[in-house]
Amino acid sequence: MNKRISTVLAILIAGGSLLMVNCNGDGSKSKKDDFAIPDSIFKDKPLMISKEAMNDIIENISSPVEMAALIKSTGVPFNQKFLASTKNVDNLSTDFKQALNLGVYGCDLGYLNMYEKTGSIISNMQAIKKLADQLRIGHFFDFNTIKRLATNNENIDSLMYISVSSFNNMDEYLRENNRSDISSLLVTGMWIEGMYLACQVVKEAPHKDLVERIGDSKIVLSDLLLILKNYKSNSSFANLVNEIEKIKKEYENVVIHVIPGEPEMVEIDGMLTFKDNSEQVIDISDETLAKIITAIENTRTMIINL
Amino acid sequence: MKNVIKILSVLLLSLTINQSFAQSDDLVNVCALGIGNATYLKDFKVKLPANSTTPTKFSVILNKGNMYKFVVCNAEGYEGKAVIQLSEANNVLVSNLKPDGTFAEAVGFSCAKTGMYNIMCSFKNAKEGAAVIIMSYITK
Repeated sequence: MNKRISTVLAILIAGGSLLMVNCNGDGSKSKKDDFAIPDSIFKDKPLMISKEAMNDIIENISSPVEMAALIKSTGVPFNQKFLASTKNVDNLSTDFKQALNLGVYGCDLGYLNMYEKTGSIISNMQAIKKLADQLRIGHFFDFNTIKRLATNNENIDSLMYISVSSFNNMDEYLRENNRSDISSLLVTGMWIEGMYLACQVVKEAPHKDLVERIGDSKIVLSDLLLILKNYKSNSSFANLVNEIEKIKKEYENVVIHVIPGEPEMVEIDGMLTFKDNSEQVIDISDETLAKIITAIENTRTMIINL
Repeated sequence: MKNVIKILSVLLLSLTINQSFAQSDDLVNVCALGIGNATYLKDFKVKLPANSTTPTKFSVILNKGNMYKFVVCNAEGYEGKAVIQLSEANNVLVSNLKPDGTFAEAVGFSCAKTGMYNIMCSFKNAKEGAAVIIMSYITK
């Protein structure tokens, strides 16, 4: 009798756990094709860098909001044409494709939010929700609340907060559950899309701050490659690494150096603030910038046409 | 019967862990309300036992020309008060613990160099503590 009770409880717990993992998702499973990522690729092979180092790097990279804010600060108006189309979302049949494009749409959501284009957010959010559900992380995306805030044009700060924290939570969950491969793709998609948006704006108006941000992204690029190379034994990752290596090659002529300055502690709006008075100089020629833009565009085109 | 007790214990433990996660998420939500006119970027959750000698470290890339704000919120039910230090290559730039032993509610960093920075978090007098750090940036 006791054994039977134990068995029933065990099933209940197992079932409950599965429900918790899948709750709020649509439960749909991704169709696997030749480019699906077999788990064994990641589980059986040792990583080139430690899990902790991986987490550190991934945590570093995902910050599309700052890029969107910088773009807006240039005064260049919003442009819907810059955004990735959500029409092909149903054709993204593997975890690899879904994770990369989820990152792309996540970055676009930041751009839309920053310009308060709440009316255009719905189709973007539907794509995000669909991909997140397929990747079994949809329960972190509070679709209904975001939709309500966007539809009613309510508090933009809340909309921004919920959007960004949803992505942070998805990313954190993936890393904590040994799915750093998916997390690395998510942040890669975000980073590429953020760079793509910046490049499109720079083509229209070469604002100094934005050109410098494109230039100093050289620092992040090396880290991004480091994490992606961990999974290079998978052909899809290998292709992605090759694409990003092309971007890195164009960055070879970007020179970054720092002129030291005396730091000071100041009070800004009542807040104790450390002000670094050094100067970071980013040398990037027009020719190099043009080549970087082309390389970013090519990689972005590859991602959205997967 | 022993098995039933074991399974119930596991169930209870998992519920406690889930509740703990929910509480830290609640603290993030409450803490994020306190960032004022800044825009939320990330949150970092820290929980350390008493007498812990190793601070928790987070790495972040901060961008040139941006002004960042770090707000710390301590969880209720713990004695420890979080001490955060923002550092670059082992040089502490700013801390929420003032020289007089009191805490600043928020600290700022005006970044001049894009690069990797570290946020170290410990609890004053090595007391047990749980806290959330919200990293945000202030629009120009």
